[in-house]
Amino acid sequence: MHWLAKISITCFAASYMVVLAVELVRLYFPRSAVRSTIKVGFAVAGFFAHTVFLYHHTNLSFGQSGLWLGSWFGWSLAGAWLLAAAYLWLVFQKFNSSTGLFLLPMILSLIGWGVWVGSDSLFTADREKTIWSMVHGFSLLLGTAAVALGFVFGVMYLVHARRIKSKTLPAPGQFRLPSLEWLRLQAERSVLVSAIFFGLGLLSGIALNLSTTSEGIVIPWKNPVIWSSAALFGWLIFTCLGSKFYRPTRNGRKVAMLVLLSFLFLVIELGIAWWFGHGTGASS
Amino acid sequence: MNMLVIGCSHHVADAAFRERVAFAPDQVSGFLDSYYEKYPDSEALLLSTCNRTELYVLSEQAEAVPSRGDLIQLLSSRHGIAAEELDSSLYAHQDAEAVSHLFSVSSSLDSMVVGESQIVSQVKQAYEMAIDARPKAPLIHRTFDAAIRVAKRVSTETKIHENRVSVPSVAINVLAKQIFERFDNKKILVLGAGEMAEETLTYLKAAGASQITVANRTHERAVSLAEKFDGQTAQWSELTNQLAQADLVVSTTGAKEPIVDVASFAPVMKARGQKMLFVLDLAIPRDFDDRIGQQFEDVYLYSLDDLQRECERNMSSRKNHWPKARKIVADETESFFRDTRRRASGSTIAQLKKQANSIKDDELKRLLNRLESTSDKDREQIEKSFHRLVNKILHPPLESIREESATDQSDPKPVGLLEAMKRLFQLE
Repeated sequence: MHWLAKISITCFAASYMVVLAVELVRLYFPRSAVRSTIKVGFAVAGFFAHTVFLYHHTNLSFGQSGLWLGSWFGWSLAGAWLLAAAYLWLVFQKFNSSTGLFLLPMILSLIGWGVWVGSDSLFTADREKTIWSMVHGFSLLLGTAAVALGFVFGVMYLVHARRIKSKTLPAPGQFRLPSLEWLRLQAERSVLVSAIFFGLGLLSGIALNLSTTSEGIVIPWKNPVIWSSAALFGWLIFTCLGSKFYRPTRNGRKVAMLVLLSFLFLVIELGIAWWFGHGTGASS
Repeated sequence: MNMLVIGCSHHVADAAFRERVAFAPDQVSGFLDSYYEKYPDSEALLLSTCNRTELYVLSEQAEAVPSRGDLIQLLSSRHGIAAEELDSSLYAHQDAEAVSHLFSVSSSLDSMVVGESQIVSQVKQAYEMAIDARPKAPLIHRTFDAAIRVAKRVSTETKIHENRVSVPSVAINVLAKQIFERFDNKKILVLGAGEMAEETLTYLKAAGASQITVANRTHERAVSLAEKFDGQTAQWSELTNQLAQADLVVSTTGAKEPIVDVASFAPVMKARGQKMLFVLDLAIPRDFDDRIGQQFEDVYLYSLDDLQRECERNMSSRKNHWPKARKIVADETESFFRDTRRRASGSTIAQLKKQANSIKDDELKRLLNRLESTSDKDREQIEKSFHRLVNKILHPPLESIREESATDQSDPKPVGLLEAMKRLFQLE
């Protein structure tokens, strides 16, 4: 279907920008039915275009040597797609809240980063289509999206807590955020989900290395990507356990700070993976 | 239709006077009975709430509606208040103004808290009591059904009911819901057992709160309030322990000094292990030292002043919807009277047609009796001619009546022609 090929990044990025603009307008003007309809309409349209774009390009790449999703470009757009899906869920779950103000910049940044980095492959062509590399790639993708989402919930928590504390609540219909309790719960869930997927990603990465090494069981721990991934996973486990069992860290503000730190570690980890190369044999 | 309303509200009278002229629900029926003894040819409805007492009287005949003075005498004898005092304190609205006033009242545009939803229930209740006192009251049915419909329109077509404006409702439905997602698993501690505590508990209960503890210096009052909301009580001496366990504290005591200061709160926070606490200090003077909210990061402390600011902001937001609500009331008042005039003219037109046809039938019968040899075909032609004659004579006056009844004036009596017609043709 040739019309699929006509959908470009501009289509969905522009839609998300319109949604962000509508959310920004709401900071200064009360909620209106027209603006809400425009917001939902453009969010759904953008997500649809985004989905079609991913489907079309992934489908095309199956016939080629490298899998499109295995590139930084595809991987970033897939991450942005997961966050866009989360945004749509939030729009319907917390209709009156301005969650887009926090989530849409993250989505647009991921798209922008993907475009900037371009089509550098994350894996060598021979490794891209193995089952372990797929499990590894998707687990890390889901883990990354969960950490990013947790970061957004954490920032929202801190902003909202500060507003309530300073007694500067917004006028009716303007810049609403979900309750502190809900934001804390979602931040905790994000950390849990990200820990599970990063753990899976790490294990599958080890399995990937085991299956491809002819000299026996060799795990290249000196590889900065491997040890930074292990450190991030360790941090997420620590955060999960802390927020579950250690009373002082169950406090919402502390959970928010922990997810913010998790996001910082994730950014460092992604920077290392991009700088040193990962799965392409560049550093090993 | 003729209508008169006489009464007083928070706009013109203070609470003390309103209390003197108010009727308890069990007094309404007795008052309406005494009204009907004196004025049996009209219909009456008494609306008595904490903010207003109004007596609405209605009749198709203008002379059957008691005057303002008559109603003041009736109220004076009932309450033992001098007629002169009532005369200077009560307002009165007649016909179109009375209907417009009723529509404003039912849609809460005349309420102390504009947009409050309680008034429409009170109007319905007064309507039911009026129907109990006199089941056959077509004017009350028509007028108050319309009033309830207008209230519904204002409620659904404007946002005048949005944004809470009473302190306890803002405290729970606006503020507490910014912090807590649900209330069924939260420990609620209520300090004090007065009216404010009760009203706040009503909103908390509606929000799903189930773990309620009431503490009051007079334990009996705490027991009474706790029973009302399926809660439990705590001794005043257990205050520190209760504060350490609570998620939300509503403080409404009448203490002259703060009951919790920074020094006494520090061990509470230690025992809480940094668990978040929301304190609604609705007492004057304050029960919680204001510095508690500043010194402890996990404590959100809101006083009555903070909440009052939110209420005022919501109130000004509601006022933005006034013009739209006012327009609905004006449109509905106009429509109500158009309908009233159409009904009145419809009845007169029917009577006039009936009378004309009766004359026609009599004359036709007499003529046909004299013309015995006339063929059936000719008789039929004569009948048709008579019928056309009557229709042609009636057509211009009936059209004039219809046109007059369709005018947009909100006056119930633009029926000069109708009255003239009734007198000219001696209709009832």
